[in-house]
Amino acid sequence: MLAFLVQRISQALLVMFVISVIAFAIQDGLGDPLQEMVGMSVSEEEREAIREELGLNDPMVVQYLRFAGNALQGDLGNSYFYSKPTLEVIAEHLPATLELVIGASLIIVFLSVPIGVYAAIRPQAWLSKFFMGVSTVGISIPVFLTAIVLIQLFSIGVRVEWFPADTGWGQWLNGFFTTEGGLPSYGRGDELTHLFGTWESGFFTGTGLMHLVLPCVSLASIMLPLFIRLIRAEMMEVLQSDYIRYARAKGLGAGRINFLHALKNTMLPVITVGGVQIGIMVAYTILTETVFQWPGVGLMFLEAITRSDIPLIVAYLMVVGLIFVITNTVVDLVYGLVNPTVKLTGKKA
Amino acid sequence: MALLEVKNLDVRFAVRGGDLTALRGISFTLDKGERLGLVGESGAGKSVAAFSVLNLIAKPGYIAGGQILFEGKDLAAMSERELRKIRGNRIAMIFQDPMMTLNPVLTIGTQMVEAILAQRKISKKEARAIALDRLQKVQIPSPEKRLDQYPHELSGGMRQRVIIAIALLLDPEIIIADEPTTALDVTIQAEIMDLLLNLCEQENVALMLITHDLGVVSQVTQRMLVMYSGRIIEQGPTREIINDAQHPYTQGLINALPQMGEPGERLFQIPGSMPSLKNVPSGCPFHPRCNFATEQCKQSMPEYVRSGNVDVACYEVANLIEQEKRMQEAES
Amino acid sequence: MTTATVSRWDRFRESFFWYSFKRDKVAIASFAVLLLMVLAAVFAPLLAPTDPYDLAQINIMNSELPPVGLDGADSAFPLGTDAQGRDLLSTILYGTRVSLMIGFGAVVLQAFLGILFGLLAGYLGGKVDAILMRIADVQLSFSTLMVAIIVGAVFKASFGNLMFGEIAIYMLIFIIGVAEWPQIARTVRASVLAEKKKEYVDAAKVMGFGTRRIMFRHILPNTLSPIFVIATVQIANAIISEAALSFLGLGMPETQPSLGSLIKSGFDYIQSGSWWITLIPGLVLVVLVLVINLLGDWLRDVMNPRLYKG
Repeated sequence: MLAFLVQRISQALLVMFVISVIAFAIQDGLGDPLQEMVGMSVSEEEREAIREELGLNDPMVVQYLRFAGNALQGDLGNSYFYSKPTLEVIAEHLPATLELVIGASLIIVFLSVPIGVYAAIRPQAWLSKFFMGVSTVGISIPVFLTAIVLIQLFSIGVRVEWFPADTGWGQWLNGFFTTEGGLPSYGRGDELTHLFGTWESGFFTGTGLMHLVLPCVSLASIMLPLFIRLIRAEMMEVLQSDYIRYARAKGLGAGRINFLHALKNTMLPVITVGGVQIGIMVAYTILTETVFQWPGVGLMFLEAITRSDIPLIVAYLMVVGLIFVITNTVVDLVYGLVNPTVKLTGKKA
Repeated sequence: MALLEVKNLDVRFAVRGGDLTALRGISFTLDKGERLGLVGESGAGKSVAAFSVLNLIAKPGYIAGGQILFEGKDLAAMSERELRKIRGNRIAMIFQDPMMTLNPVLTIGTQMVEAILAQRKISKKEARAIALDRLQKVQIPSPEKRLDQYPHELSGGMRQRVIIAIALLLDPEIIIADEPTTALDVTIQAEIMDLLLNLCEQENVALMLITHDLGVVSQVTQRMLVMYSGRIIEQGPTREIINDAQHPYTQGLINALPQMGEPGERLFQIPGSMPSLKNVPSGCPFHPRCNFATEQCKQSMPEYVRSGNVDVACYEVANLIEQEKRMQEAES
Repeated sequence: MTTATVSRWDRFRESFFWYSFKRDKVAIASFAVLLLMVLAAVFAPLLAPTDPYDLAQINIMNSELPPVGLDGADSAFPLGTDAQGRDLLSTILYGTRVSLMIGFGAVVLQAFLGILFGLLAGYLGGKVDAILMRIADVQLSFSTLMVAIIVGAVFKASFGNLMFGEIAIYMLIFIIGVAEWPQIARTVRASVLAEKKKEYVDAAKVMGFGTRRIMFRHILPNTLSPIFVIATVQIANAIISEAALSFLGLGMPETQPSLGSLIKSGFDYIQSGSWWITLIPGLVLVVLVLVINLLGDWLRDVMNPRLYKG
């Protein structure tokens, strides 16, 4: 068990090393700190002197070691645009992104499990076929397009009355979809609750929650079909297994067989994949945040690209890399530690 | 009345392009406390027969006809709800591979207690006490500890003991054991078989033992039936069949046993292999491999004839009996 | 020569592949729609009423006209116009062409990389396998989209906006191809490992064939069906990735729009009520990706290959 731990952690460190080399290469290749620091009037000799002083003429290895050493001490340089330490900038923007990911994860968990399980237990039911059809379509819609359609439907409103106006529910639906500004589609709102440090939360106020709805739904929309399909496939495989048939031979009821015997075995692999996928969602926040002008790290990163704010780009890479590495390692460790059956029986590994 | 009486059971598999017949016209009985062996090559339909008794055939299989009378009530016509009261409670099963049978994420205790609570309205504590008692009966070392362990913490032999303990939980009338020792190490196969046999005798439980091992059948069972390609081709008292098999297929099986040959000699082999369900030959399904096959064998399936206490479905045997009868008549 | 092709055609018509295609309505409809879109894209210069790349044909006075059927529409522009006054139908035809080119190009590149690395990893095993699969794991755990965004951002920063715009198609093919190779490599590796155990490989070794010959002439043909299934789905993924990159401003420039950059340029006008500029190209994109995915699902069912799970 200790060997497993050491192996996983050293692997994580190796990956982090590679990321830092890439980040350093980007900084070295793209960023010229002199351009930001000094004006055009400075002569070439003076530039050379500053270069020497900054250590820019040192061998690559020395420069990388300096970069890595600073990074370990939490110093990834200053942002050109914000004129303050990049990590500080990221710390300010990170809570917004995390709230988005948390909200979307909640939606995914609460929808994908029941739908996936239902579709596995009743594969022939029309509702299952409907859900599977919708999830195939869902996979084919890019996340930013979902976001735009949601904005059009629930925020801007449509000018066409789609539903029959002579019924009560038709009127209500027409009213709902034609109202302008139904749900907010811009930023996080102005009523945020301060939790700690730089974390201001939108989960505790009405407007905060309203602002979370559309971005979270859009972000969830990309992963939801994947999770439904995954849970359904895993569960159907589990339902074929001998121990499920044995549970029936013991005279157990369908409820206990499906929701204890089958579901528990289904969820173990799903949790592993799920953990990794939640890390991957960070990538999709770039798209969601762009559409909704959500002030998180994704939008910050994209703005840093347009502003050529190299230190901020590099810092973002390092931080996001760290998040990915930590989620992956933790998921691996949890899978290895909590579920020793997998390793000992040598199945499913 | 027999405890279990299976009458003319047909089982089919609904697959693309029509049904495949897995079992055809299966009939047999099992009395209280009796031990019955089902013998045949893999694919002969032994396991399907075992699972169909409890209506547990995996999809796309289904019971297409016949009756399964347990204490006079037809299990094939019962609702799932009524069946649940029989499964595990009156008729228990032991599966082939103990590695795959127990749920890997639930403790042994949970899996034992739930089986009791599904049938009896007693407290968890009482159920646990029953579970512990059965674990002691199957002679598992430190049974108390096992209740809180997960299946993967136990060896294969221990797991099969647990499964036997689960089968005994509710004092069933019948235990159906589907090749209970094939997946185990050769060294512990006999041990587990002995345990099962002793417990069945001790508790007076009827045993339906599915196996391809004629040696085990001859040691454990009182009656046996031989299956080939979804049909019973011979059934009767085990000793009679082993000593004087009638059907050419059964004879072949017995001659193929290692102990039947001389050391250093080549073992006997039945030529060819059993047909798959997709292309069962016409008439007697064994005729392409049979030395005695005639035109008649290719035309139609032979009826059962009685020779001693054994029922055999074979034209050759029927003709021999006929000849014998004529000779006796001629003598008298 | 003719007889050979005829018999091959006959064999195809009698195959299970063709049989199940004929019976599957979804597959037929998807294929028909895809064929139609590919043809429309290929012949875009002939079909499009105007040339969206030709500034002389654009009149800014025509900007933000709605599609036919809505108030203020102009019948010269059946799907309306965008903010610069370009005919939306024409830009969509050209945009589909760009999206499909990038999709196919990226998949060709990733198939090349994926097959090469997958074969090497699976056949050689050992250190080569460990290193290649580690890289693949890391790249996949970062999500291919993230990798593509980062590579795109770096390229854009180093080439500058103008230069990047000119070579954007090739850049996007490169970025998406490099970002997504692990998918195919893992599938190839898995099937190579399965094939390697089979007897014909031993036979080829005994007969003294070299490693390269065994890999490409003996193993590769037997791994083609899973590659084919994955590649189909990957085209859909590449088109979505391209759209995402373009939407973020890291892809095709507005002067030479793909479906993604059309959606992006329209998005700025959605608040003013001109929904068609963004939603019509969006619909075309979804339909395109959907039919490819549906065909991929169908292929998977028919070929039932050993796909890499997880």
